[in-house]
Amino acid sequence: MSAVIRFGPRLSLKGAPLWSLFIGLCLILAWAAYQGGIGLQALTNGSAPMDQVLTIWAALRLPRLLLGLMVGAMLAASGTAMQGLFRNPLADPTLLGMASGAGLAVAIWIVFFQGFVGDWGLYGQFGAGFLGALVVSLLVFTLGQGRASGDSLLTLLLAGLAITALASAGGGLLAFLANDEQLRQLSLWGMGSLTQSLWPPVVVGLVLMPVAAWGLWRRAGDLDLLQLGDLTAHGAGLDIPRLRRSVVLWSALGVGLCVALSGIIGFVGLLVPHALRLWLGPGHRLLLPASMLGGAALLVCADMLARSLAPPAELPVGVLTSLIGGPYFLWLLVRGQRHAQA
Amino acid sequence: MLKLNQAGFVQPPQIQPLSGSIQPHQLVAIVGPNGAGKSTLLQMLSGFRAPEQGDVDFQGRPLAAWSSAELATQRALVSQQSAPVFDWSVMDLVSLGHAVPREVMLTILHWLDIAHLQQRGVQRLSGGERQRVMIARALGQLVTAPVTPCASSMLALSGLLLLDEPTSALDLGQQQRLMRCLRQLSQAQPLAVVCVLHDLNLAARYADQVWLLDQGQCLAMGSPAEVLDVERLSQIYHADLEWSHHADAPLLALKT
Repeated sequence: MSAVIRFGPRLSLKGAPLWSLFIGLCLILAWAAYQGGIGLQALTNGSAPMDQVLTIWAALRLPRLLLGLMVGAMLAASGTAMQGLFRNPLADPTLLGMASGAGLAVAIWIVFFQGFVGDWGLYGQFGAGFLGALVVSLLVFTLGQGRASGDSLLTLLLAGLAITALASAGGGLLAFLANDEQLRQLSLWGMGSLTQSLWPPVVVGLVLMPVAAWGLWRRAGDLDLLQLGDLTAHGAGLDIPRLRRSVVLWSALGVGLCVALSGIIGFVGLLVPHALRLWLGPGHRLLLPASMLGGAALLVCADMLARSLAPPAELPVGVLTSLIGGPYFLWLLVRGQRHAQA
Repeated sequence: MLKLNQAGFVQPPQIQPLSGSIQPHQLVAIVGPNGAGKSTLLQMLSGFRAPEQGDVDFQGRPLAAWSSAELATQRALVSQQSAPVFDWSVMDLVSLGHAVPREVMLTILHWLDIAHLQQRGVQRLSGGERQRVMIARALGQLVTAPVTPCASSMLALSGLLLLDEPTSALDLGQQQRLMRCLRQLSQAQPLAVVCVLHDLNLAARYADQVWLLDQGQCLAMGSPAEVLDVERLSQIYHADLEWSHHADAPLLALKT
């Protein structure tokens, strides 16, 4: 009889990848907390008094780290869920236009409504982001339904392209209509960066994002079943309409929040699940939490790079993720084409 | 087990009202030319689409009254479809949708001659191997007892297995092995198997009952000998057919 040593009810060798990702993320977080002029590094070289460093660190660096953590994790979780739902490794909140839809909705909110609601403007921004992402995902989903898989990919990507173009035109129009302060807010937020990390929005994110992540994680087993195809998955007991509603809703909430908090940061949702699937296999019970850890690590890391590549200036982190993600996406497309020809 | 009472679809693709029943220990073949409505009928039998007229009862209860999770313990389905997009290992894929232990699943993989592929990614399988993988998963869903490692003879299955063209990608030998396996299972266990088949000889050889469909209408229902009438088939398929008698079993053949 073999004895299995267990550290907890669910802890076994199967969790090893999650633990290694978790440890990697902790190391990156520690480094990001330490590094730079307002990092804890300032404590060790004695360039400023301790309480001053800690106050600045808690007001600026800590919320920024938490924001990077949340947005990275949520974008990767939404990307994983969307890829599972569309049964397509190229589905991603940015490519499908969800992020642009959310972005346009947030911009509309900033230009037309924010002035009327005073302090509540921030929360309206979250609501607008959620609604924008929800409308686009429902639209894209309806377009992609009932087609053969090849057609559906093309339709989805073209729909995403059209929505992104439309949203960018809308954004241009809004910039034209906006006053100076709104314009400044729009341009700071729109580039996709974690610089706008103040405590109140971060706290809202800390409350709502775990809800969205939990909503998606609960559907992990169902997303696995969906991979059998609609008819066979139904035969295996899956309530497909319910799964679709729930994944679209929770992804839209997650992506809407991310966009409202940090603008459009592309490719995290594509890159992370795709790379981790090669390592861990396609099962969503493992892939979804792993992607969250990986997405958080990637974004915190990218933000650290964005801060330190050309000091004292900062690159928007969205630019950096697109610089990594764009070529990766092109490589995926070329590889897919080669497979199709083979 | 499954009873149809004037069940059909009014909207195209149409199925004319159809009555019939499927009992445990039966292997039923649904045959007919392309576009006859075979797959649509299978969708109705599985509960994926509710009939627009009449009703379908499963185990004495209307199919619509079953929850999908409850139904999944007693009815499994394999549709005609392409491979899963992501590269599941065979063992992971066949373990989806039920809690049958791996050792038991391995027995089922042995039945279908794919046990050696258990660690392989499904995208690196041939069409025929993939088809058998999907059937193995569906069989796993219908395992009732025991849920411990066991000899294959002790494995108990029950319920309704619906297969849409299960032999379409199989070579001759594999077609024979699969149909033999399904027949043995349905005879030994309280299991009913319904297959949509294009090969009328397979239907003639292995089915207990054949349903012949054309243009959404069930033209005949009964034993292969009753249903597979060469004149009727020639008319429906617009082909010149004949029974050629070789050894002890007749074979349906195209006339030269």
